[in-house]
Amino acid sequence: MTAMADPSALEFDQVTFGYGRLPVLREASLRIAEGEFVAVVGPNGSGKTTLMRLGLGLLQPSHGVVRLFGADVSRFRDRWRLGYVPQRASAATSLPVSVAEVVRTGLAGQLRPGRRGTRRHRERLEHVLDLMGLAAVRRQRLSELSGGQQQRALIARALVTGPRLLVLDEPTTGVDAEARAILRESLEHLVTVEGIAVVYVSHDPEGFAGIADRVVEVRAGRLVRVDPQAPAPTSQSV
Amino acid sequence: MEILQFGFMQRALVAATVIAAVAPLVGAFIVQRGQSLIGDGMGHMAFAGVGLAFLVGLNPLVGALALTAVAAVALARLTRVGVGGDLSLALIFYGGIAAGFFFSSRAGGGQNQVLSFLFGSPLNLGWDEVAAVTALAGAVVVIVIALYPQLVALAFDEAAARVAGVPTQGLVLALTVVVALVVVAGMSSIGLLLISAMMVIPVATAAQVASSYRATLLLASAIGAASAVIGLLVAFYANAPTGAAIVLVALGAYCATALTRLLAGSLQRASS
Ligand SMILES: Nc1ncnc2c1ncn2[C@@H]1O[C@H](COP(=O)(O)OP(=O)(O)OP(=O)(O)O)[C@@H](O)[C@H]1O
Ligand SMILES: [Mg+2]
Repeated sequence: MTAMADPSALEFDQVTFGYGRLPVLREASLRIAEGEFVAVVGPNGSGKTTLMRLGLGLLQPSHGVVRLFGADVSRFRDRWRLGYVPQRASAATSLPVSVAEVVRTGLAGQLRPGRRGTRRHRERLEHVLDLMGLAAVRRQRLSELSGGQQQRALIARALVTGPRLLVLDEPTTGVDAEARAILRESLEHLVTVEGIAVVYVSHDPEGFAGIADRVVEVRAGRLVRVDPQAPAPTSQSV
Repeated sequence: MEILQFGFMQRALVAATVIAAVAPLVGAFIVQRGQSLIGDGMGHMAFAGVGLAFLVGLNPLVGALALTAVAAVALARLTRVGVGGDLSLALIFYGGIAAGFFFSSRAGGGQNQVLSFLFGSPLNLGWDEVAAVTALAGAVVVIVIALYPQLVALAFDEAAARVAGVPTQGLVLALTVVVALVVVAGMSSIGLLLISAMMVIPVATAAQVASSYRATLLLASAIGAASAVIGLLVAFYANAPTGAAIVLVALGAYCATALTRLLAGSLQRASS
């Protein structure tokens, strides 16, 4: 099967990367199909965030290829197709910013200089604010919101372009059980109703158990498939 | 007010108020990016530019613009090749002040004029200089408005902005260039050593009371303009240096706001 005939949403092909001399990832391979929900687990410092940053083109692999929707990541242009919720995202900002303003920054890549958003952009903004239950707090300062609400604002920012691939890096850090349940519900909705591919990085299996199609562990620089049902991992490559 | 009868006072008022209103519009982005001192780096480099201009007989604005443009590009390059933000800024800082002083010492009779740009001398401006300052400030406003959504995205989360397709490298360079424009536009009225303060202090004041980014920008701009007007009047009646008076007024507004919030907070706690 060629990449052209069946483009995955995200594909790592024999990717090697290290910040210094020590490689963090060694010939790691993974394909995430459109509409698939893949959970990525692994201990602290194993390279989960690094893998996500490579997948989104924020880092360049020293060997191997990363493809987004069939295109080499360095030549990928349809940025609206991507949604990214970074780990420990900058919710603790030094200057005031309202919830609506934060969410709106997700559209900045779609606007040409000197242009403001179209009606469709405004509709998308309203839609994601509703979807994430933020309509009532849209004018409030982000820093005045609870941790769970802040996280939802950052997810709304990632969703505002109507992406086809959503990357969430530890989205439940500092979020209470109720907010986790709400997040889980909205993710289920996105996957089943909108058919979005999701990569979900987390220590906490509760966040993805039952929704994830596959669980992948980053271990010693490689990606190892973990059966979501049986905790004992098999060593087959993914 | 009778002091407005004086032409030199009118010119000083226009030049200082325009730049003090515009500086926070740029400052908000550098403060949010944790680069509050970048304006100072540009100021030192502009000093070298002014010195060089006097040495070779150019308009000081042209010399300052040329060298700050070089500094803007160098800063972007240095950061990209891994000379961290703080260190690359330090290189530009010290290089600028040393070169500026070196050039000005060779400029003979021009030396005093070169040094006058360090703290500004708004009372000596001609209308042509005021027009140049206003044009530079206008260019800054146009650029900030045109790139506003992208600049906000960059300031709050550079990685997410890049993923979303914002051309962050070019945008960082554009931001550095507008910082340079503000510094050059402000050097004759507020001075190279103090103009950066007007990019930062009004923003810090506005941030204490505003609840959105947009409101912070607009309020900071208003605070900057008001500080310029009040500072100029204080300087005139107290026979004090203008740039220093303007910055001290801005700082006073910051302290007053912080104190008021502190008092209001403890009153609230006491009554509950
Ligand atoms: N910018 C960087 N420069 C140098 N080394 C880095 C950098 N970022 C991460 N590393 C190193 O790379 C390794 C992988 O880091 P990474 O952040 O990808 O791990 P992680 O699995 O996401 O960890 P966590 O569970 O804590 O989020 C770690 O050993 C880390 O120290
Ligand atoms: Mg991580």
